[in-house]
Amino acid sequence: MKLANHPRLDALCGEYLLGTLRGPARRRFQRALGEEPQVALRLRHWERTSLPKHSERIAIQPSRGAWTRLDRELGLARYRPRWFRRVGLWRAWAVAATLALLAAIAVPILLPGLRTAELVEIARLESADKREVLHAQLSSDRRTLRLRPIRPVIAGPTQSYELWLLPAGGGAPVSLAVLGALDARFAISPLQAEELRPGAKLAVSVEPAGGSPTGAPTGPVILVGEIAS
Amino acid sequence: MLDDLKIKRLILGTALHGEGSAEAFEALYRKCAPLLLGIARRMVGRRELAEEIVHDSFIRIWRSAGQFDAASVQPLAWMVTIVRNRAIDVLESHDVSRVDALEVDAPGEGIDALFDWAPDLETGLDTERRSRLLRDCLAGLHAAERQSLVLAYAHGMSHSDLAAHLQKPLGTVKGWIRRGLANLRECVERRTEAAR
Repeated sequence: MKLANHPRLDALCGEYLLGTLRGPARRRFQRALGEEPQVALRLRHWERTSLPKHSERIAIQPSRGAWTRLDRELGLARYRPRWFRRVGLWRAWAVAATLALLAAIAVPILLPGLRTAELVEIARLESADKREVLHAQLSSDRRTLRLRPIRPVIAGPTQSYELWLLPAGGGAPVSLAVLGALDARFAISPLQAEELRPGAKLAVSVEPAGGSPTGAPTGPVILVGEIAS
Repeated sequence: MLDDLKIKRLILGTALHGEGSAEAFEALYRKCAPLLLGIARRMVGRRELAEEIVHDSFIRIWRSAGQFDAASVQPLAWMVTIVRNRAIDVLESHDVSRVDALEVDAPGEGIDALFDWAPDLETGLDTERRSRLLRDCLAGLHAAERQSLVLAYAHGMSHSDLAAHLQKPLGTVKGWIRRGLANLRECVERRTEAAR
């Protein structure tokens, strides 16, 4: 017999939605859903009118790594825009930059006599509501920039922070670094160091992971501050 | 609050299976996975099992997003159905009595703690009325009927789980479920008619 003509169709829909329809009866009902549009329609009606919404109070955070596993299993990398795939390049760049930084730190330690460069505060970046503050410090040899937030701020998995230099005489913002966390220390070029002078500004924007796809800030600027001396 | 309109957009973005679909899908996951995990955990009682259910469900969501019928199905309800169905499959295939391990809500935790009666922003007045009406109908059931329905729905209990948990004969529990559903249906129909 077709389920659509079943005298207890409504009752079956109810037990199916409730979850108490089990075993062969449940499988037969599911088959009918695919084969008999009237059954599917009836179920939809009861679904819409008599199922309560679950409260978000019962939500719990999935364990760490759950998303990564899903991402890998479905091969989602293929479904990301091309600039996003370049994150791989950014990673390689980050490794290289880290190694360079390690060398920069290790050399003075391993070769006594070479003094670690001193850090001098050059700017204080603030959020619009002044609650977030980031101290930007330049090494005395003008080769390393150090960022110190007043509290740890780490980008979400789909975001990066990007530090921009807004030149003193105007002109397009120059990207200084793409960061996963605001607490950072990185090398800058002599040319960039040259531009870090009073009147210029530093700003941090929120960008897609891997940094701005266009080379100019695309996301909201969350912190900004002028270079003092 | 989970915004149905936004979830709908993310499902449609996922369904394209093109550039940018991974981001839509990830946003969908970040937004909805916690609630879905909460639902699954209540149903199967064990966290690691619930994590597997949510994992399998999101694979299903990715693959069948193209069949999501945005015109007639609420997007979150669509995802909840996928998770609940998967959870029931798991409950059926795990030949273990789950009643002992079950964490049941404190007696005071009723339909207002488990469910959300606020209307969707998207559909406005209609759902507000429907939501209030459903709440009243549930609240108006006999206590035993309501308790059986809530335990079955929120905790994934089968008839025999319910009989064991409530320490009542199977026939009694089946009767509560049958009459509870019939009374709920009758109440929803009658009051929907009256509201027209």
